[in-house]
Amino acid sequence: MKKEKSSQSTISSSQVFLTHVCCGLVLAVGFWVAHNVYSINLVSDPSNTLCWIWASELPVVILLFSCFRQKQEKCSYLKAIAQGLLGLPAGALLNALGALALGAPIGLQYLEKTLNWSLLMSLFTFVPAASVYGSSWKDWHRIFACTKPNGSLDFMLCLPAHGAVIGAWFGAWPMPLDWERPWQDWPICVSYGAVAGYVVGMVGSFGVSLMRGGQKQLKAE
Amino acid sequence: MRGWWRLGKWTVLIMFLHIIAILIFTKGFLLTRTELPHSSNCSDLSESPCLSSSSCWTKPVVDRLIIIVLDALRFDFVAPSSFFEQKHPWMDKLKVLQRVALEKPSSAKIFKAVADPPTTSLQRLKGLTTGALPTFIDVGNSFGAPAIVEDNFINQLIQNGKRVVMMGDDTWTQLFPNHFNKSYPYPSFNVKDLDTVDNGCIEHLLPSLDEQDWDVLIAHFLGVDHAGHIYGVDSTPMIEKLEQYNAILEKVIEVLQKQSGPGKLHENTLLLVMGDHGQTLNGDHGGGSAEEVETSIFAMSFKDLPSVPSEFDSSSCKLQANNNICISSIQQLDFAVTVSSLLGVPFPFGSIGRVNPELYALAVGTWNLEDNEMGKAQDQIKLEEWMQNYVNVLCINSWQVKRYIDVYSALSVIGFSSEDIFHISDLYAKAEENWLYTKNLLLYKNESYNASLPDLKRQIVAYFNFLSYVAELARSKWTEFNLKMMGTGIGIMLLSLYIHFLAIKKVNKSYGVSLLSSKGSGISFGLMFASFIVVIRACSLLSNSFILGEGKVANFLLATTGIITLRYSFIKKEMLLEATIFLLSTFILRIAIEAGLSKQAATSQFLNVSSAWMLGISISQPVWTYMAETVPILALIILGYFLYKAISSCCCWGIPEYVIMGTILCYLLIALHWATESNVLDLALLLKGIEKNYIPRTIYAIGLIQLSLLAFVLLFSNKETSNYKGSLFVKMIPILSACSSTVIILLGKQGPLVALGSIVAGYCIMRLEGIEQHTVDGAPGISILDPLPIVQWNLLAVCLFFATGHWCAFDGLRYGAAFIGFDEFILVRQAILLAIDTFGFSHILSVFGLPLFVACPSLFNQTGRSRSVSSMKLFRILMMYGLITATTATATILCVAVQRRHLMVWGLFAPKFVFDVVGLILTDVLIFWAFIYYF
Repeated sequence: MKKEKSSQSTISSSQVFLTHVCCGLVLAVGFWVAHNVYSINLVSDPSNTLCWIWASELPVVILLFSCFRQKQEKCSYLKAIAQGLLGLPAGALLNALGALALGAPIGLQYLEKTLNWSLLMSLFTFVPAASVYGSSWKDWHRIFACTKPNGSLDFMLCLPAHGAVIGAWFGAWPMPLDWERPWQDWPICVSYGAVAGYVVGMVGSFGVSLMRGGQKQLKAE
Repeated sequence: MRGWWRLGKWTVLIMFLHIIAILIFTKGFLLTRTELPHSSNCSDLSESPCLSSSSCWTKPVVDRLIIIVLDALRFDFVAPSSFFEQKHPWMDKLKVLQRVALEKPSSAKIFKAVADPPTTSLQRLKGLTTGALPTFIDVGNSFGAPAIVEDNFINQLIQNGKRVVMMGDDTWTQLFPNHFNKSYPYPSFNVKDLDTVDNGCIEHLLPSLDEQDWDVLIAHFLGVDHAGHIYGVDSTPMIEKLEQYNAILEKVIEVLQKQSGPGKLHENTLLLVMGDHGQTLNGDHGGGSAEEVETSIFAMSFKDLPSVPSEFDSSSCKLQANNNICISSIQQLDFAVTVSSLLGVPFPFGSIGRVNPELYALAVGTWNLEDNEMGKAQDQIKLEEWMQNYVNVLCINSWQVKRYIDVYSALSVIGFSSEDIFHISDLYAKAEENWLYTKNLLLYKNESYNASLPDLKRQIVAYFNFLSYVAELARSKWTEFNLKMMGTGIGIMLLSLYIHFLAIKKVNKSYGVSLLSSKGSGISFGLMFASFIVVIRACSLLSNSFILGEGKVANFLLATTGIITLRYSFIKKEMLLEATIFLLSTFILRIAIEAGLSKQAATSQFLNVSSAWMLGISISQPVWTYMAETVPILALIILGYFLYKAISSCCCWGIPEYVIMGTILCYLLIALHWATESNVLDLALLLKGIEKNYIPRTIYAIGLIQLSLLAFVLLFSNKETSNYKGSLFVKMIPILSACSSTVIILLGKQGPLVALGSIVAGYCIMRLEGIEQHTVDGAPGISILDPLPIVQWNLLAVCLFFATGHWCAFDGLRYGAAFIGFDEFILVRQAILLAIDTFGFSHILSVFGLPLFVACPSLFNQTGRSRSVSSMKLFRILMMYGLITATTATATILCVAVQRRHLMVWGLFAPKFVFDVVGLILTDVLIFWAFIYYF
């Protein structure tokens, strides 16, 4: 208890592991259920699948990351959840704008797909940080602009978010190819890229927390 | 001046290397052939040593000809499966052809037709009808339109009073716009539509067979080609298509056989069912692989005929259902001349094919039988008769080919080597020597027949030698890539890149700055990111899809760099507005690029872009037309205002001031010009007296005067200004403004908007320059140049090229721009205008605008620096810009070399290559001028 008070951002690698495994599992289960229960997948019905996945992922991400909220004395658990919920549309807007700037198709028939995709992206990138840091500009600036995370918690927020964005960026490359495959449509391969990047980011973040844990133990010894 | 040369020699060296490399590569890659405007006439034959017949060149042996072209007909679609090691599902589907060939070996035959690359429909149709080997660039006087200007077999038919009916693929009507008596063209560019063209053909084909109003009927089916492109060869739609064709062909043959009796409509009809090229199992074609070049011709006449002497028989036979079925082979090159000789029209002037003995034999007997009825009994006499005719046809054939070769080497810029010419003449002379003797035999043919047979054979062999040598020579010259030259070109290009790099490094060293970073520790992120962007763009050129969507790719990368700079401005907590505006302008550019893409999709056969993003704005609404009329003029006024401010705020005086004033005057004239053209304001009445061409011409003239004034200033004023950067700015604004008025009027109404957009984007890039540096260094030390803004500027230039409605294809040139201010066509003048329109924003203005990065920051943060530092900076900027352009062009060259057998090498890669290469040389020249001007 004493330790937690002194530095709230410190979390153990097992916590990181559990959080990431939960997020990853829910993501996988989301895909599985969409495929086997609703018999839809990203290719056949991208907007509904994306919608289902972000809807199922949302409570898990917000509830989990709200546990790591900063300044716990000022910020109740419920407030952290509310911050996360507020972060969702804000992040979605930013993601959608970024995607549009990079060349996502404009048009009413793409609106639903873009919306669901950006909500999912927001869940990967903004919502965890919003739950943890709320509206603390300094922390946001540190994590997303400077990329100078310090502590496992920062890595836990920073790496998967960057992974998802970079994955989505690379995921966009097959889109113009003339293979005429259904998955080349917006936003299917971009979503695949984002999910892949997110998973890689989570693995990386867990690796970092393990390393840091090991270093700390060494120092303590 | 010495200082100029010290740096300028690098640009000269690099330009020189680029030109050499490109020339060598192009010589190996872009095969060119000169189109000759001559055509053959009936009366020409009197110049030849051959026997002339009563009619035109040869005696017509076929009255009517039916050509059914099945696009992308693979050889194994027609030939029986017993000819192949393995039987595949798509074989033996055209059963009726095999059956007829089996039942009547003397009047119906299946040929393996070998086409020459490039195996694209347009080139093949050109090859089939002209009997020549079309190359990627047929140098001729067709400026954009694909119509065939060379002499061809359709043209000969028209000249000799034959009536031609065409149905099917509309490529024919593009190639022969005014040749057909009747035509039923159907659009060919929608690859996903398997049936429209075919159904249209079927609808008109069978009724036409009973008509009397044609002599030659052409029906071009596209279904197999499209099925191949979409589904591949091994697919159900393909097999369905083949079965459908089988049914149609069965009907056609049935109708023809019914009408083939003496005195009936199709007594003397020849049916040809043929492919224009083959296809690979994926349905691709264009290259030179066996699957692509091997197609088939099925020929059928409706008479019993003698068989060809075995020496000239190229057929291979297989036992099929206890019967021999034989398949001969023919070069597609020989098609035009053989068909011409059968119909008795003069051979196309540029044909280098030879009359194929087997195809000729299929039809020729028809008049033989009439002429001497008693000869029926004696096969030998019939054969000899046939050979006498054939040898005379070959004589005409050889004479015509020799005439073409002589005229071609006399007129063409790049003719044949003298060695080859000598060898050709030698072979022809040998054949002619024999001919004098053979001719006597033919003239006095009452002598014993048997004796003359060996002589005739010898004569035929002599002609064959000559013709096959010519064909081989032409092939090596017009269809084969010269890999050694291509490799050398690439090597020199890579060397030039290395020298480019060295030059930048050396200049840095001489000024005591290392390339990597000011501290010399590791590579800065900006450099890494910039090289990453350049490399990924270079790699993207390897795929045809990315070349097609190049504007989008460039915009994607530009937006990525925009996002990165936005991030940096977040870190620095400054210039957020500029970064946001920059992103916004990339977004607007992107919309403009997509609009250009949708325009491209309308003409391109490769592209299918849904213009879904247009939210149903109908252009016809009066509000929009009003907007479209006024917004460009408003933008022009804003541009003029900027210039006015530049004069008043800056220390401009003397000639530069007059130059800028001239540009403002030009803008006013342009606004007036557009106002008179528009319907909204009825100014047309006001200016009735002034012809519409005067304003553009005045603008061109003012532009020229401005440029010469600037050159004059450059030559005769040696004032050393203390503030170098200020003087740079003073130099930059006049030259940009002098160029801009011409570019804007050529680009039309989008011009001022694009100019405004690029000024805004350029301003943002300039302001954001070095934003990353400061964070790395902490404090702004010696600001070494970050390559990222240059990459951004380059990408912006690429985006502007696409956003102004251009794309890398010859139909992407805006031909209308060449005729602004002029009505009549003069090649050089119109080509210059077209070049200014095409490369105006993307090359001319962007290179001259490069000093922006040196000149402008000084106006905002007044830190005085010495002249040498900023001139070094300018040198680096120009060199880096050149390096980026050269890297992209090298990547294009490499990709073209790698993909030289790609399906779309002629459709996409080669035009892209031409545009990039021209752009590179233009950039080099412009950088050189910029050197002279700015230093």
